Amino acid sequence: MIDNLLFLAPPIVACIILAGVLGYFGNHILSRGLIFIDIAVAQVAALGTMIGILLGFAENSVNTQLISYCFTILIMGVFSFMRIRNQVLPQEAIIGILYCIALGMALLLVEKIPGGSNYITKTITGNVLWVTWNNILFFTLLFIPIILVHIVFGNKIKQVTLKHNLKDVNINVIRLYDLIFYVTFGIVIVKAVPVLGIFLVFMLLIAPASIVNIFTEGWKKRIIWSWVIGSLGSILGIYLSYSINISNGPAIVCLLGVAAYTVAFVKLLKKQPEKIN
Amino acid sequence: MITFDFLFPPILGCILIVLINVYFGIHVIKREIIFIDIALAQIAALGGVIGGIILNSPGLGHEHDEFNLLSYLLSLVFISLAALVFTLLKHKKIPIPLEAIIGISFALATTMAVIILDKAAGGDVHVHDMLIGSVLWISWNQIIRLAIVVSIVSLFHFIFRKKFMNLTDAFQDAYQTFRKPRLWDFLFYFSFGVVVIEAVNVAGILTVFAFLIIPASLTAFTTKSWMRKIIAGWIMGITAAVSGVFLSVKMDVPSPPVIIILLGFLLLLGYGFFKIKAFKDL
Repeated sequence: MIDNLLFLAPPIVACIILAGVLGYFGNHILSRGLIFIDIAVAQVAALGTMIGILLGFAENSVNTQLISYCFTILIMGVFSFMRIRNQVLPQEAIIGILYCIALGMALLLVEKIPGGSNYITKTITGNVLWVTWNNILFFTLLFIPIILVHIVFGNKIKQVTLKHNLKDVNINVIRLYDLIFYVTFGIVIVKAVPVLGIFLVFMLLIAPASIVNIFTEGWKKRIIWSWVIGSLGSILGIYLSYSINISNGPAIVCLLGVAAYTVAFVKLLKKQPEKIN
Repeated sequence: MITFDFLFPPILGCILIVLINVYFGIHVIKREIIFIDIALAQIAALGGVIGGIILNSPGLGHEHDEFNLLSYLLSLVFISLAALVFTLLKHKKIPIPLEAIIGISFALATTMAVIILDKAAGGDVHVHDMLIGSVLWISWNQIIRLAIVVSIVSLFHFIFRKKFMNLTDAFQDAYQTFRKPRLWDFLFYFSFGVVVIEAVNVAGILTVFAFLIIPASLTAFTTKSWMRKIIAGWIMGITAAVSGVFLSVKMDVPSPPVIIILLGFLLLLGYGFFKIKAFKDL
């Protein structure tokens, strides 16, 4: 029993930390309506890694990672400057096109790299059971400055996300806050995807934020409850996968997804829309 | 020397997909449910996977020309379930965008397929094939099936075009004032799902997604008229399809990236054109 606990401690701690950060960003992207942005970012980062490998660096070398980060940040920068006041084309459509082109480019480059097809689908499945204390320490250290940035600029970014009183604000100021948001988001996603896998990251972003959006109002409440729901879902999922012997990532994804659907349908069946506050 | 015989089937397949997807793409962008096509493809695939498991031959269905009735029926069942869920959860009591519901069902369907295929060998190959696909190896059987599905769905949407177009135009604000919105919504998602099953089977998720989103994105900058939007999208999509298939064979590279890069290029070109036109009109 104690052995099991020791074995499961790092993945559980990792899930709790990531559920908090992803829950916070999830509320932002849900309110912005950019649901699939993390899948596009992960694809862009994978393309950056492939470019690094093609330039002759090793897969896990600092250079390759640096190229991948810089490439992702560059694309996120371009994306935040594509915001215009009168959005004719929804931003989610731009995300779709970005995903399409990044994946297409990766398919072209893949033929130039031996064993290249691994890089396309590699990100699909991660395994949180393999996470080590060192990994956890490393990404936590990386998250601290990002959290600080969001503590400092949090209110402004929230204002942009929720579109409160933006009429009088200069469009370039909005773009600047967007830039801060998307760049920090990109870094978090690039770091989280290898640990959890793309689908678990996607689910930890969307499902807890959706559940709390259905039941509560109030920004702080939503973020805290997202963290709680994400953590509980992860712990329960890890426990389930351990006891019935299926992969843990898919187990957590299914658990959170089914929970979101259940909450949505319960809300739908309720006669009188209740105000909880 | 590239023969016409070799190029003709894939080009024909692409054109059939473009014809219907540009129309659906305009709907999808107006409704802001961009990734619905990928979600429906994964949901249909889950049905296919379960059908394959029941018949004890996993992986069936990703071979071209093979038609498995049970898998197909299960795919249809799953598509109609998804259509029902998307219809019901578009409700004023649910304050989250429909795209989030679509995203959750996408992740659920994919991971469930992964869990099931975990038990069957070669699961990830199947996922990979479905994502990329290749329109170059399309057979005449597939073209005929695609043509039949596209004609039936087009005819249906042509007859009730007023209903579908008005519903989509009212989707964001005036949804509740529409007569029987849920019935038409369900029919919209279901008919789209039937097309997605056929198209993805022929060209892979990525190419189908590109034909859905990129030409329709260009039309967001054009006039409000649906007919003009559709024609502009057709011109762009068919240009990219014909030259993309030709170039990919000529340069011996996979066709999806070539088609996507051409579409992206045409989108930039078209966007520039409309900007200049708007500038001149001032």
